[in-house]
Parts: sequence; C-alpha cells; structure tokens
Amino acid sequence: MRAPGDGHGTTAGEVLLAVEGVSLSFGGVKAITDVSFDIRKGEIRAIIGPNGAGKTSMLNVINGFYHPQQGRIAFKGETRKRMRPYVAASQGIARTFQNVALFKGMSTIDNIMAGRTLKMKTGFFWQCLRHGPALNEEIEHRKFVEEIIDFLEIQAIRKMPVGKLPYGLQKRVELGRALAMQPDLLLLDEPMAGMNLEEKEDMSRFIIDVNNQYGTTIALIEHDMGVVMDLSDRVVVLEYGRKIADGTPAEVSADQKVIDAYLGVPH
Amino acid sequence: MSGMPSREDTFPKLMARNAAIRGGRAAMRRKDLGIWQTWTWSEVDEIVRAYAQGLRELGLERGDTIAIVGSNRPKLYWSILAAQCLGAIPVPVYADSVAEEMAYVLEHAQVKLAAVEDQEQVDKVLSISDRLTGLTHVVYDWSRGLRDYDHTRLHAIDDVIEAGRAAFAKDPSARAALDASIAEGKGEDISIILYTSGTTGRSKGVMLSAERSIAAATDTVTFDKLDENDEVLAYLPLAWVGDHYLNFAQGLVAGFCMSCPESPETVQQDLCEIGPTFYFAPPRVYENLLTRVMIRMEDASAPKRKMFAYFIDVAKRWGEKILNGESVPFSGRMLYALGEVLIYGPLKNVLGFSRMRVGYTAGEAIGPELFSFYRSLGLNLKQLYGQTEAFLYVTAQPDGQIRADTVGPLAPNVEVRITDTGEVVFRSPGMFLGYFRDPERTAETMTPDGWVKTGDAGFFEPGSNHLKIIDRAKDVGRLATGALFPPKYVENKMKFYPNVKEVVAFGDKRDFVTCFVNIDMTAVGNWAERNNVSYASYQELAAHPQVYDMIAAHVEEVNRSLAAEPMMGGAQIKRFLILHKELDADDGELTRTQKVRRGFIAERYQPLIDALYSGAAEADISTEVTFEDGRKGVISARVKIRDCKIWPASREAAATEKAA
Repeated sequence: MRAPGDGHGTTAGEVLLAVEGVSLSFGGVKAITDVSFDIRKGEIRAIIGPNGAGKTSMLNVINGFYHPQQGRIAFKGETRKRMRPYVAASQGIARTFQNVALFKGMSTIDNIMAGRTLKMKTGFFWQCLRHGPALNEEIEHRKFVEEIIDFLEIQAIRKMPVGKLPYGLQKRVELGRALAMQPDLLLLDEPMAGMNLEEKEDMSRFIIDVNNQYGTTIALIEHDMGVVMDLSDRVVVLEYGRKIADGTPAEVSADQKVIDAYLGVPH
Repeated sequence: MSGMPSREDTFPKLMARNAAIRGGRAAMRRKDLGIWQTWTWSEVDEIVRAYAQGLRELGLERGDTIAIVGSNRPKLYWSILAAQCLGAIPVPVYADSVAEEMAYVLEHAQVKLAAVEDQEQVDKVLSISDRLTGLTHVVYDWSRGLRDYDHTRLHAIDDVIEAGRAAFAKDPSARAALDASIAEGKGEDISIILYTSGTTGRSKGVMLSAERSIAAATDTVTFDKLDENDEVLAYLPLAWVGDHYLNFAQGLVAGFCMSCPESPETVQQDLCEIGPTFYFAPPRVYENLLTRVMIRMEDASAPKRKMFAYFIDVAKRWGEKILNGESVPFSGRMLYALGEVLIYGPLKNVLGFSRMRVGYTAGEAIGPELFSFYRSLGLNLKQLYGQTEAFLYVTAQPDGQIRADTVGPLAPNVEVRITDTGEVVFRSPGMFLGYFRDPERTAETMTPDGWVKTGDAGFFEPGSNHLKIIDRAKDVGRLATGALFPPKYVENKMKFYPNVKEVVAFGDKRDFVTCFVNIDMTAVGNWAERNNVSYASYQELAAHPQVYDMIAAHVEEVNRSLAAEPMMGGAQIKRFLILHKELDADDGELTRTQKVRRGFIAERYQPLIDALYSGAAEADISTEVTFEDGRKGVISARVKIRDCKIWPASREAAATEKAA
C-alpha cells in the first residue's frame, strides 16, 4: 500500500500547514482572533481549549469550510486562495466530525468506499456499467478498503448498516472513511467524545498506529487531557478565539495561562 | 521420495506425507482482506520447512522450547510444525492470559523463543522479559504498531521464512540437513507441552509424545470416519487440548483442511461460509445459538412463526428417530422432508451446520432438551469425555448410541477403571508422559501401574457400557446412611427444567438430601402471566403456592429418575424450599463466572438449613443484600418448606448398589 503522504516532496519535520494571523468572525461574533501556528509533517498536533474557544472553527478554516476574514493559510507551502472543502479534500486533507456523520443506511464497506470517491478515475458511464476499467478500479479500491478494515479490526461489521452499530464502532468507521482518502493531513474533531475508557484506549492506539504506520500527519481536538498529553507531540491552546499557549504537552500543562483557562482564576 | 519414512510417527513426517500424496489439496484456509486464501499441503510443506530453517538460524535447536501465543492463525500453527521439524518443543499459551500468568508458564517452560500474534502479545512478552532469562528472540505474525520497536530480538515471521528460503537457495546442503532433522525426530520424543488452564491452582505442563498423539488421533479419525474431504474451523483457543487434537492432530492424520477465522469476532460468519463437516462446541455455545434463533423468530412475521413452530414440533416427534434409524411412519417422513426444505435446511445454513457430519460437545452437562433440539434437526451431535492428560478422548458416543445423559462408551483402545472411591481412572493411547518439570504432581496423578486419575467421579450404567460422570471426586459426599451424594449431579438434573435457575443441594453427612431452589424469573414470570397469577416481586412469586406445586412436581420427577439409577437412589431430594431472593455474585453467593459458592451459602442461610433438617414447615430468614448502586439493605422473609415423595430405588439399581 502506498503510504498516504509519500511522494509529495516534503521531508520530516517540515511545515505541512501554516496558519498565520487568521481571524474569523460571524457578524459581530469573533470566533478566532489573530491565531498563528503550524503543523509539521508527521506529527500529532492537538488543539485544545475550553468550550467555545474556537477549536472546531479552526478546523473548519483549515479544511476550507469557513473563509477567514484575515490571515493566510499555506498548505504544503502554497498559500491558499478562497476555496471549497472538496478542493481541500483533493489536496489531501481528510477529517472526521464531532457528531458522527456517516451514511447510516449504508454498510461499513460502502461508507469507507465513499472515502475513495475522489480517487476514482473512470467516468460515470463505465461506473454505471460496472465493467471493464470500472470493475478493475473498483477491485483496486476495495482492496485498499479491506486493508483499512483489517487495520481497524472491524472485519466483523463489514456488511452491517452503520446505523445499527454502537457509537464507538461508528467512530472507528468514520476514521476508516477518512483514512480511505489517503490524506496527508488528518483532522479529527473530538475522536473520543462520549466513549468509555476501553473505547478511548482502542481509539488512541489506532491514532498512534495511523501516525506510525502511514506517517499521516494528524491534527486533533480533544477534551480528555490524559489522552491529549499521551498522544500529541505538540499542543496549541485556544481561549476565546485567541492562542494562549503553544508547545509540547509538558510545557503547555505547566503554563499558568492554560491552568487559569481550564480551572478559572480566583477572584 | 526415497527419504520418506515408512511409518509416520511425528507430525512433520505426517506433513511431508500429506504433501506427497495429496499435495494439491487444501490444507489450510484463512480469510484475508475479505477473501478466503487457501494453502495446499505442498505449499504448507514448503513454508514450514523454510520457516524451520529460519528458526534454526535464530538458534532454535533440538529439545528447546518455543512459546506459541495468539489466536488461531495459520502462521502460529506453522510455528508449531516448524519447531517440531527441528525437534524443538512448542508450548502454546492462552492468548488472553494476563502477563503474570504468561510469565509463570514461559518461565516454567524455559522457553528460548516465542512466536506471537501481534503487538499486544509482543508487549506482554517484552514486559516480562526480565524474568525470562532464556528467551532470545520473539517472532510475530502481524506487524501493526511494531514498526518503531527495537528489532534486534524481534522479527516478523514472514522475514524468518524468507531468511530460510534464502538459506536454502544459497546452500543446498541446508535443505538436506533439515530433511535429516525431520527424519531424526522420534515418536517417543515430546511433541508438545500443553499447559492446563489452571482452574485448580498453578497450571501444569502436560507433556505429550508424538507417537501417542498420532495413535490417539488415528483411532478417532477411524471412529468418526474422517478423511481428506472433511473440513473444520479452528476457532477454539489454540492452547487448548481440544483445538490441538480435533483440528491440528486429526487434520494432519486425516489430511483434511483446517480453516482459521478472520478474527475472533467473525467466527459465526466464517462458520456459515466454510460449513465445517466436523464441529466441536461446549454446551454454552449451542445454548446461545438456540437463544439467538428463538429471539429472532419472535420478531418474524406471524406466518413464518407459525410455520417454524409447526415444523419444530414435527422435528421433535420424528427427527431424532429418523437420525437414529428407528422406524418412522411414512407420513412422518414426508412431513420431516418438507420441514427440511422449508425450515431445517435454511436454519442449519444460517448456523453454518449445513455440511456438519459429526458434531461434538463436552465440558459440562448438556440439557436433554437442548441436545434433542439439535439432533432433531438432523445434526449428528454427540458427547465425549476427555482430558488434556488423555490427549482428549476417554469416552465418545458412536453413531447410533447417542444419549444426553451419558458421555458414551469408551473410545477405541481406552481402558477405564472405577476405583473404590468412585473415581474414574484410565489408560489411553494418547496418554501423557508426565507434567513438565513437576514429578511430584505427576506422581499424584498417575498410579504406579500406569493409570491416570481424572479427579472425576463416575460409573458405568448397568445394562449398557455408557460412562456417566457425576461430579468432581472431591465434591462427592456421602449421606449418613452411606449412600452416595453427588451434589452437582442432583443440581444439574433440576437445572434442566427451564423454570429452575439455580439449585444448591445439601446432604453430606446428613440423613437425607435437601435443596434450595431459585426460580427462573423469565420462565416462571411468563407462566404466571399466562395463568393469571399476579405478583409484585421475585419474593412474592417465589412464595406462591402454585409455584411451589410446580417445583415440587419437578423434584418428584428428578427423584423418580434418580431412583432408577444405580447408586443414586439415596440422593433423592426429600425436602426443598424456594429462596426468597436470587443468588447473586454481588452478595458473594456466586462466583463471577456464575458458579455456586456452596460453603458460603451454607453459612449464610444456616437457619434455613436447620429448618430443612428439623422438620419445620417454615422458617424465618433475614439476609443482607447489596443493591446495584452499592447500598446495603436487609431482606427478611418467612420461607415455606415442602416435603417430597421419595421413590424406592429400582431393583437392579439396588442390586448394583449392594454389589458396589
């Protein structure tokens, strides 16, 4: 399997995505104010902060869903113009959602296959016939999908409609769909929200393995501090839309501003 | 193949034989990326030889031990064979054992290498590696997550096999040396060490020799007429004697194909796709399957439900008789044939039993109704009794002599004796050599004249040669009159009634047998609904006179069947009561695996036991209970006691009792 992220001329440690002075507001509400940080190739980068700090907005800006009023975003060294999410997707950014956003009536296989859509090359006509090049291509994509199924250990639910699956497994399928895109940058929005301890441990293991095996760069939002400190290489902390800290988990957790933001300041 | 030995007395020689005479036939399958992959006997032979060469280069030598840890995966079975090619001894370990248990086994077996499944097992082995001074290398099957590990002592099995292939290509004499090593293997050498699961203290390493293993497997392969056309699914723990015997040993002897499930969670689907012809499962599995079928039928549409009920009824009437070859009226046969098309066939297909020719169950008592249900569908389900020390079979039911209440006549070439204390001792072709590095416990288990003690009490049913196992020998008590009292045997007989959930029998050193009963809330609740019996709680339902009548009827039936059996006449239940609360693990009355803690219950309910033996008609009890949120409370109740009819022991039963 070609490791996602190979062959793009970037080397380890190099900046994959740079966010510079980004501000985003909805009418009078300022969601993000002048935030700058970078994501280096091959790292696990966490974005944390109290509720309403602008974490999900930040993720939406990165994958092109929102357009910042100010600032600049450069992905793989190219400054991004105003663009649509599917452009971000075709450039190699995949994401999962805070609330599971799968096709509930479709099977696990079909959901993950959906992640391959952008990689399909045969035309609509051939796809309709499901013969010749279209069939060959489908077999190739199916093989890739099966490798993901194997990787995430979800063989037993291959043909089950995902709506019937427990929440923890749905999250795993969603991760599978994002992986099917072979992304260079994987955005995970609270991958462990609402999970029990065992499911969290499993998911942590998968995140580490994805990063380790495929070299995929990961940016994640997470509330469970234990998980964040264990998983991530570097952490950026937002509060009320501003960046208040940036560094390794150890540095960040020792930072007085972060402690204040999470525990409140005594008055 | 001039180098072929004339008689195959080791497993690698059997593998070579299979490659020579049925090289193109399937030996093993595993589903990979959603598609079943097949390896033929010649492919297996080639891979195992290369693997063995690779292991030799890692330093594995004759007499060394190698741990095998993981679920049923072809590469782990090949690890067993490859080690045996070198004359090394494989030691399978239960994949779900925690690091501490694993440390004990690996330390005790003095393993030099470990072949493990995945990162989880690698982590476990590495975490205890400071205690395993002899351990030099670890090889693994699945590389996920292991990329960044230090690979000086860690190797992928694929790489080991490749190294072996490279060595063969570079140096032709290496292949000859390996052939010589296989030929050098002798039947009396230890072929494998299987550690017991350790339910009774520290686990013991059961040493089995190759020739004995093969002799035993040859006997049962003939017994069940297995051949190369058969097919099994290896889904039971790799380290368990059952899997090693039924799938690995029998497979090599008969040359049939063994399939490995895609993952432990997909067994049911894999079963359905493979359709094994030979199948083993403990009673619990059959029970779960039946429950699942019944629940799904409840949700089916009314016509389907009616059809199902009708034909299951037909099967109950005629199915077993047809299977046993008894005479059945033509109309019965016609109806059954129709049922086969409409219900039984599709049902068996869903369960993966379409092609099943021989099915076994063992391990604990199976309810007669459950047993009959599967047999009435036309499945040749049988019982066997065995032990790791026997290399499985002691008794087995031959076709046509199937019973739910016995474990069958002796397996071929097995001898059994019942000692004065009622314990079953045996001598069998597959008998073990001793416990590894534990002469003390070997001496405890083996009599000086070479019989093996099972620790189970049992007897041969008079008039037939069927063995009945009644209980663990140490649990069997005696009444004050001297009559035998096997508590579990009595309890199981009661528990086969769906209305009865749990039973605790008393009687050791007493004048007669009494018992506590827990009713099954679902079954009895259902009955109450149908019969307009109103109740508010378990306690109220349990104390209802009609419920007492119902249980009393069950007790009398049990007594009648006990009276008809030799030596069991004295164990009839004279008085019983229905407990005012359900026995619960939270209150310490059951173990976490739902086994009754007899001693604890006897202490806790002392007043009730006293009343059972004092002749009182009722007794007061108050017990502390733990609620689900952890709070404690007290339940008090006045419990009624019933007397039951005792049947005179049958004449021939009484006669054997006297003789015994």
